[in-house]
Parts: sequence; C-alpha cells; structure tokens
Amino acid sequence: MPVAASAIYFLNLRGDVLINRLYRDDVGGNMVDAFRMHIMQTKELGTCPVRQIGGCSFLYMRISNVYIVIVVSSNANVACAFKFVVEAVALFKSYFGGQFDEDAIRNNFVLIYELLDEIMDFGYPQNLSPEILKLYITQEGVRSPFSSKPSDKPVPNATLQVTGAVGWRREGLLYKKNEVFLDIVESVNLLMSSKGSVLRCDVTGKILMKCFLSGMPDLKLGLNDKIGLEKESQLKSRPIKSGKTIELDDVTFHQCVNLTRFNSEKTVSFVPPDGEFELMKYRITEGVNLPFRVLPTIKELGRTRMEVNVKVKSVFGAKMFALGVVVKVPVPKQTAKTSFQVTSGRAKYNASIDCLVWKIRKFPGQTESTMSAEVELISTMAEKKSWTRPPIQMEFQVPMFTASGLRVRFLKVWEKSGYNTVEWVRYITKAGSYEIRC
Amino acid sequence: MAPPPSTAQKSPSPSQPSGKSEVSDLKLQLRQLAGSRAPGADDSKRDLFKRVISYMTVGIDVSAAFSEMVMCSATSDIVLKKMCYLYVGNYARCHPDLALLTINFLQKDCRDEDPMIRGLALRSLCSLRVPNLVEYLVAPLGSGLKDGSSYVRMVAALGVLKLYHISAATCFDSDFPVMLKSLMLTDPDAQVVANCLLVLQEIWNLEANKSEEASREREALLSKQIIYYLLNRIKEFNEWAQCLILELVSKYIPSDSNDIFDIMNLLEDRLQHANGAVVLATIKVFLHLTMSMNDVHQQVYERLKAPLLTLVGSGSSEQSYAVLSHLHLLVMRAPMLFSSDYKHFYCQFSDPSYVKKLKLEMLTAIANESNTYEIVTELCEYAGNVDVPIARESIRAVGKIALQQYDVNAIVDRLLQFLEMEKDYITAETLVLVKDLLRKYPQWSHDCIAVVGNISSKNVQEPKAKAALIWMLGEYSQDMPDAPYILESLIENWDEENAAEVRLHLLTAAMKCFFKRPPETQKALGAALAAGQADTHQDVHDRALLYYRLLQYDVSVAERVVNPPKQAVSVFADTQSSEVKDRIFDEFNSLSVVYQKPSYMFTDKEHRGPFEFSEEMGNLSLGQESMDNTPRYDESDKDLLLGTSEKEENGAPSANGSTASGYSAPHDYNSSLVSLSSQTRPEPATSDPSLPKHSSHGNIAIDDLLGLGVPAAPTTPPLSLNPKAALDPGTFQRKWGQLVISISQECSIDPQGVAVLTTPQALIRHMQASSIQCIASGGQSPNFKFFFFAQKDDKSPSYFLVECIISTAAGKAQVKVKADDASASEAFFALFQSALSKFGML
Repeated sequence: MPVAASAIYFLNLRGDVLINRLYRDDVGGNMVDAFRMHIMQTKELGTCPVRQIGGCSFLYMRISNVYIVIVVSSNANVACAFKFVVEAVALFKSYFGGQFDEDAIRNNFVLIYELLDEIMDFGYPQNLSPEILKLYITQEGVRSPFSSKPSDKPVPNATLQVTGAVGWRREGLLYKKNEVFLDIVESVNLLMSSKGSVLRCDVTGKILMKCFLSGMPDLKLGLNDKIGLEKESQLKSRPIKSGKTIELDDVTFHQCVNLTRFNSEKTVSFVPPDGEFELMKYRITEGVNLPFRVLPTIKELGRTRMEVNVKVKSVFGAKMFALGVVVKVPVPKQTAKTSFQVTSGRAKYNASIDCLVWKIRKFPGQTESTMSAEVELISTMAEKKSWTRPPIQMEFQVPMFTASGLRVRFLKVWEKSGYNTVEWVRYITKAGSYEIRC
Repeated sequence: MAPPPSTAQKSPSPSQPSGKSEVSDLKLQLRQLAGSRAPGADDSKRDLFKRVISYMTVGIDVSAAFSEMVMCSATSDIVLKKMCYLYVGNYARCHPDLALLTINFLQKDCRDEDPMIRGLALRSLCSLRVPNLVEYLVAPLGSGLKDGSSYVRMVAALGVLKLYHISAATCFDSDFPVMLKSLMLTDPDAQVVANCLLVLQEIWNLEANKSEEASREREALLSKQIIYYLLNRIKEFNEWAQCLILELVSKYIPSDSNDIFDIMNLLEDRLQHANGAVVLATIKVFLHLTMSMNDVHQQVYERLKAPLLTLVGSGSSEQSYAVLSHLHLLVMRAPMLFSSDYKHFYCQFSDPSYVKKLKLEMLTAIANESNTYEIVTELCEYAGNVDVPIARESIRAVGKIALQQYDVNAIVDRLLQFLEMEKDYITAETLVLVKDLLRKYPQWSHDCIAVVGNISSKNVQEPKAKAALIWMLGEYSQDMPDAPYILESLIENWDEENAAEVRLHLLTAAMKCFFKRPPETQKALGAALAAGQADTHQDVHDRALLYYRLLQYDVSVAERVVNPPKQAVSVFADTQSSEVKDRIFDEFNSLSVVYQKPSYMFTDKEHRGPFEFSEEMGNLSLGQESMDNTPRYDESDKDLLLGTSEKEENGAPSANGSTASGYSAPHDYNSSLVSLSSQTRPEPATSDPSLPKHSSHGNIAIDDLLGLGVPAAPTTPPLSLNPKAALDPGTFQRKWGQLVISISQECSIDPQGVAVLTTPQALIRHMQASSIQCIASGGQSPNFKFFFFAQKDDKSPSYFLVECIISTAAGKAQVKVKADDASASEAFFALFQSALSKFGML
C-alpha cells in the first residue's frame, strides 16, 4: 500500500483545525485531539516527525505556520506520504499564487477541500499535477472571486489528459515570444574542523526552468559533466575539447526527462511542462570550489574576556561579488559587552541567538575582510570551564558562480513550427550549511 | 477554536458562531434560497455553503441543516455541488435516514452528460458509507466501470473498494473483483489500471486468510504475466501509481536470473526519478530481487548508495528522515559496504535531533580499523553539543565503538577525557561505558580505575551511573585504596538512596570488597546487610538475606559465589533477533523501518498480515517495547553484579522459577541465579540451605544458560534422513516463501570449525555426510550464508529447509528451520546442530 491515509489534517500552531478530511473509517474522529494532546502539547513536538499513538501513526510536517498531519492505521509508506504532503503544498501554492500559510488556507478552504478530493481518493494518492488539475478545478483563488462561471462546459479533454502520454503539458499553447529561463542554483555545504581541514563538503544543485514556449517543443540540454561529454565525443568520434569537466555523483530528473535516453546517450532531452518547474537535481562531492575561506581565532583571556578575530577571504573570480554575506560567531550566554572593529560591513551582538553577527552587503571576489571583537563576560560560578563552542555559520549568495563548476553548454529547442527561442541562463551559489568549527 | 475569519466571505455576521442559533439561522437562509431561481442566487448559496463547511471543519455539528442543504443542491454550479457532496459525505453516516434523501439526486447526477459530474457523484455516492444503502450503489458502480470516460472509470474502481469496506458480500455478489481484473488488463488509461490494481490488492490481502480462492487471486496478481504487463507500461503511470506497481514487483518471485536482470535493467532509470518515493520503491525491488544472489546483492548496495545519499540531502528534514531510516537499515545490514562513506553521516549543527540520532547510530555501525580514528574524533565533537540527549548519544556511540573494536587504546583515553569535562550527564554516561568496557577488556582496569577513583560519588546522581561506579568500587576494590570508605559513606546514606538498582549494587559491592579487604569493610558490610534486610524493596531485601545466609553457612562458599574468577564478556547480546531484522527488511519502504520493528507490533489486529507468529516472537516484542536505543545496557544494568552469567537471567527467568521456590521470597530469581551460575546443576534449595558442591565446569552451565550449548536432547524418536534427497531450487524457493519458521536459534561453532571454514564448500561437504544437502551458499570470510535442505527417510515428501548464517568472527551460527512437518523440526534441529557441532573435529 503506498499510503492509504486514513485522514489528513491541517492545523495552525495553536492546534486549531483549519482543514480536516477523513478518507477512511478506520480511525476515530478524535484523532486531532490525540495529536494535540500527545504531540503538540508535549515536548514531543519536533523530536520525531513520525509518532505512534494507539494503533495509529501520525506523520506530520510543519510548513510555514501550519502543521499538516497524515493519520494512517496501516504500515504505510513513509517516504511516499511525506512526498505527497510536499507535492500537495506545491500544488496549493500554485493555486494561491505562491503563498501557503494559515491565512491562505482560511481564505481558500473550499478550494482545498475540492483539491483534496481530487488528489487523494480513499487514502490513495491520485493525480497531483497542477497542469492537469488546473484544467478542471477551475475555481479561482480569492484573487479574483467568482470572476468566471466555473466550468459549465464539459471538459472531456481534461479527463482524457489526466493520464495521457505527456501528462505534464497541455496541447495548443501559444506564446508571442518564445522564451526559456534557466536557473542553476547550487548550495554548498561545508563542515570544517577547527584545524582548518575540510571534514565534509558537498554541493547540491538544481536546475530550475521557466518555459514560455508554444506547441510541443523538444528540448535538449548539454552540460559540462564528464560522462555526458565522454559519451558525446564517443558518438561523434572526436576527442574531448579541453576545459573543465565535472563529475556528478548523482542526478535526478523531473518526470518529463526521457530517462531511457539519458541512460543510453547521456543527454538530457525532454518535453517541458509549461511555466516553472525543477528540471533536475544533482549532487557533487569532488572538486568543489569553496567560495569563502574563514580563519577564526578565538582567545579566552581569563574568565571574563574573550578576543574574537575572524578573517574571511573570497576565493572566487575578481570580477564577481557575493551578496548578503552574514557571518555568525557564537559567544557564551553570559556575554555582557562587546566592541567591534571591522574592515567592511557592520557587526553587532545578537543576544537572542548568542552570536556576534557580522553582515557585509557586497563582498567582491579575491579580497579579504576581518572582524575583531572583544567580548566581556559576566563571571558566574555555575558554569565552570564548560563553554562548548558551536560552529561559526555563514550565509551568502554568489551570482554567476557555481561551486561545482557546472556550466550549461547548450540548450536546443525543436518544434515543428520552427520558431526562434530566446534562452536565458543564470547561475547562483548559496550557502547551505556552511559551518566552521572553532 | 476559531472559525475561519470572515474576510473572504461576505458573511453578514462576522461574530463567533455560538452553535445552535447560528445553525438555525443558516437553515432559515438556506430554505429561502432553495427554490430561488433568481440571478445571483448561486452566489449567495455559495456563501452560505462556505459557512456551513467552515463550521463543519471546526467541529460544530451542522447536520441539522441536512434537508435544507439537499434542497439547495439542485444546481448546475459544480462548486456548489462539490461542497454539497462534501457535506453529505460527512454527515450521512450518522444520519442514515437523511442520507436516503440524497440518493435520488446523486443517482441522477451519475447519469449526467458531463463526465466530471458523473465521476463526482459516483465518488460521493460511494462515500456515504451507509450499509442500508448499498443496494443503490451496485448499478451506478457497474455502469461507472464501463463508462466511456476514464475519469469515471477511475472513480468507479475505487468505489468498488469503498463498497467492499461497507459490505464485502455485496461486492463479491456483484462480481466486481472480476470486472476490475479484466479492466486492469485492458484499460488504456494508466490511472484506471493503477486504481484497479490497488483495489484488488487491498481486497485480496484482506480476504486472503479467509478463503483459499482469495489467496490464489492474490498470488495471481504476482504472476509473471501481470508483472510484465505492468512493468512494460510503467512509464505511462504517474509517480504514485509507479510506487504502487514497484511495491507489487518487489513481492514477485523471479523464475531465474535472466528474469531478475531483465527487471533490473528495465527499472534502473527509475533510480533517477525526481520523486524520492519512486526511488525508494525501486530500491526495494532491487534489494528483494537479488536476495538469493549474494554477489549481485552486494553490487546492488553499491549502486543504491548514490541515489540514497542524494535523497538524504534533498527535501525537507522529514523526508530525509524517512530516507535516512532506510539507509540506516541498510547500513546495519552491511556496515562494511558503507565504511568509506562515513563523512556523509557527520551531523550538521542544524540537523534536527531525530536525524542526528540516526546518523550517530550509523557512524557507530560502520566504524572499522580504517576509519575509527576519524569517527571517534567527530563523535567527541558532539559530546560538547548543546543538545544534551545528542551529547549523551554520542558518548554512548564512542563506547559502542570501543566494544566493537580490538584496538581500544585511543578510545579509552577519549572516554577518560570525558570524565574530565566535569559535566554531570557526560560523567554519568561515561561511567556506564567504562563499566561495560571493563567487563570486556579487564586489562584496561589499571588506567580506568586511576581516573574513576578520582570521581566523587557525590557528583554522580543518575542511578545507572551510580550503580556503575559502585560496581567498579566492588570489583576493583583491591586497586582503589579508598573503596571501602567510599562504600561505607554510601551505605550510611542508605535511606536517601531512592533507586533500588543502586542499593542492590551497594550490597554486592560491599560483599566483594569484604572478601578482598575484610578488616576495612566488615563494619560497612554489617550495616549494609542490616539495612538491606530492613529494606522495603523485595529484591533488595532478598539479596541481603541471601548474602547473610551464605555468610552464615560458609564464608568460603560465599566467596566463591560472590567473587568467582570471571571471564571477560566477548560479545554483548544483540537485542534484536535476526528474524525481527529480516522481517523489517521484508517490509522495506514502510513505517516498520522508521519504528525499527515489524509491522505486527504496531498495527491494529485487523491490519495484521496473514502470518502466524510463534511464541518466541511475541516475547521478543515485549522486550522491544522500551525502544531505548541502548537496550544492551538496560539489560545488563538491571543486574550487572556477577559478571557474565547473570546477564541472561532476563532471558530465562521462567526456566529458573523452580529453583527460586525454596526461598521465602516470591520474586528472587536474581538470587536464584547466583546459585545457578556457579554450579552445574541447579538443585532447588530448601529452607535448610544445603548448597551443592561447587564444580569446576561452571562454564558449561553458563553456556547452557546462554543458550549457546547443546540444549537438552528432545525425547522424540530418532529421525533419519534420506541420504539422496533432491530438491530443485525453484521448489525450494517456493517452499521457503510458503512455510513459516518453526525454529530460529543461534548456535556456537567450535573454534576448530571456524578454522576450517575458509570456503563454503568445506561445510557443505561436511553436512552432506549427515544427509543434509546444500542448495545455495555464498559469502566470504567472516560471513557465510547457506541454504540447506533434508528429507525424511520414510519417503514421504516431507522436507526440512534451513537457512544458516555463520559469522566466523563471532563463532556463531544463526539457524532458521522451516519444515513441511513442523512437529519433526525439533528432532531435525537437534540432528542439524549435532552435525554442525562436529564440524572441524576430525
């Protein structure tokens, strides 16, 4: 059984029911109370997203200020259930114009009930594809209440297409200007030891696409990944052009990508859905270019004083720059007074997270910047020498830079009408969990 | 409970609904609108309906407006219809009489020309869940299954399942399962096929233990023909239906290895699917298909690593938790294969604690000679974590690694450094670990005792840690100059000690110390025995009494009982039997993996599968309940006084019950074990305590208690086996799948046997001499796996099937026996075991 959810609930943070939908009779109606009593009102909340109470299991997720709870009484498929919630939320967002929170739910609850009916029947997931559902669940969100008389005309096409061969794309789309936007978004995860050696480092990237293309176009994407290039040179029997190639550890694709062709020819070819979607995700562990080096020195001078010195170096190209750089240096709880000297940006002490927060709005490449701070502590008897230092954390965004070195080599569009397309490519690297122990 | 705010609704009264008056107000307004054909009436109806639904959501009973709602439902507005259907579905069950009102308009809608409306009406009709009304369901369902629109057929398929849950008899009488089956094999629409499949699966699963026919039907779903039909179409299905099909395929028993490779080749690209659920389902197929092919199975692990690690890193922490649980299972099954990937399991500071916990366990499992240093270094970082449970967890992890490894030198130092951190919980955890470590590696006592001796017992509050400290004081009192005096001061505060566990340990430690340093301890021991006999806790009282009488009877006997020469513990018992683990593995990609227990332990009775579980399994489930992730300490901590033997008392209390009867107390198997563990024959002690002679063969008795030795020979007539038994692999596999396990036990292998077992062939030849044939084998030193079979000599087709997993490192064999004739399995097992025990002895 993939899910066989008995019920699904949406609750706000206080535990009020926003939506409840019972799919099966095998659980009692008081399941929400059980969830509130045993999970929300105890320390259990957040300790584990899967809990068993009585004969039922509760799988829950918090998304903005809403808890979504799936109740099952059988040995359900957990991964499938969580994925279902995530997909359902994505669907709701696409209906509500990108927003999903308590207010959005309250304002659209009829629509949500309607969708819940379609996406799950008797506890089994049915069809969650927004492209298809939007054909026949036509009630608009509150943005334009009752603007059109919904769906008096029969929609045989929609029902036909529910599971058609290209389930993610409607036929007969027409755009004046045919455009494709590609966004390569990477997040770098780093864990560096206090001695400066890299304990763990990887990049998870995704390629987001926005398509405004007419008809049924066939797209082909070329990247500078090693396997793809080797295969290509093999097929065309000419040597690989020099230049950097990268090795992808693992790739997953949107369902529109022809996986058979990827496996045989190593090319990414697909008929894209209309609008925005995530084309592929990848993971890289070898040859990661870290955009920043952080060199901290923290000295504890006696019981009541600390000297913090953090040097940050940017190691990407000099013509590039990073935006929104934030360095968080943890300090003990009993911090009383701080004073700073910074070469760029601004620094202050944030008592609520026990951190020195140093912000630099724009950080050019191949430069370095330092913060030195003096921290005075209140002397206490209770804590002996046992301040254990949490790691320094860093946030940043570097446009036009990929930590993996991934590049788009080409994007080809074929359509039988032979129109011209404009392609736009952007790169950005963000900090995932960028931690430096000190 | 607040209703949805009225901002979105043009509701006339934004005030909180108080209940009754609001509902009657609504009723009135609905009644006015019911017959209205005025333009805009639909819009006002929508508002009213919205209010009704919102009240319903927050739990206000609006069923009083049922008839008004039904009256208003005659509309062409599809949104209104849907709200009305939702309302009706919610209340029909508690108001069956009113539900009858809706039948008419629902049936009419089922014949609407718009397929959307037909589908919706059919879905609502089936969701009424009123037993009296099933007769109205049959006809619309029948025509729904033949509808021209796939949308309606899709809804109708699930409608059959709903009907089945209301009235199974009606469902079968109308031949719906047969119709679904033909629909499944012929329908052009993939979603219809998927829905038919899931309905048939659920129905036959629930029916399988009721009728032969149903279980045949269930088997039929797994036939090669159907599996291949679905697999060839798999790309047409949406991601959820793919999960369903893959789940079905994972239960399929392939006919030969070509079959296996065909399926794997076909499904390999599914590992790149964006939906993690599809990837996990594919992984399950791969793992289960290759179960019988050891080398391929290992390659599959290698192949699955990358997609699993990607899944862990993508998506929300809940999703990655679900994946990590599965990765955890695989890591636990084959730690060696993941030993180079340890860096992936390093915890991020921001990981939620449930993720960290799993990662810690995996790091513990994959530690080996090559990576221990890095892993332990990393774990030591976590010991200072702000999250106290995680800090404790990581210290335990270090300890576990120490217990797994042969080279513990560096780890002991680390552990001792923890003691210097001077944090209560760290000290507490470390003490417990040092105690366990000393039980396994007594040679480290010198280093440890030096540090432990410096810890003031006043700084240790947790019962487990205190008990551990006291155990060390007793055990190593000869090396700790202050031991008698520390014990004395602890005994002085006897009354303030709340935990019985600690008091029990105090008694034993005082005894041990007394035998090593009599003059210094005599006073303390006297005080302890007196306090113990006056204790209100039964166990404490009994133990004090036992020691008192022992001392009275003969001091030298008492010494041999309390301070016998001890052997180091070689392997700490694993709390989960491999059978439980295998069952969890069978249930891959489900809650079982997350809970780390088989599904029958947590689902309702009605959801239990068609399996029967032996008594043994039932007992295991009890032992499992605590769900503490360090159960091995739990067990040993209950009574860790007397070295190795008493560890098993928890496992075998009933067997010793009779010996306990001689004592005045009802619950003192602790003390009865004292006699058991040190003597060959557990003679019941009488009120006149005549202790039997001490024997030098104490170890054999211990082995018996541990269940390692040969159990008492069964009294059944001798079983003879057919020396020329034959069985083809296909039959073996089928039988293995059908039969239940009649015996599952661990036996030890003679060290000489271990020495000879360098290749599987050695054992196979040896077993053949005992008329036990091997059908499949695999593995490399130190782990081997064999499948044996044997046939009764009386020419009846009664077979015994055996799965035997041998770990030469531990000198253990895990044996599972399945038999056509379960009653003879005991006798067979005895034969098998004696054959196995002779292995290597020439």
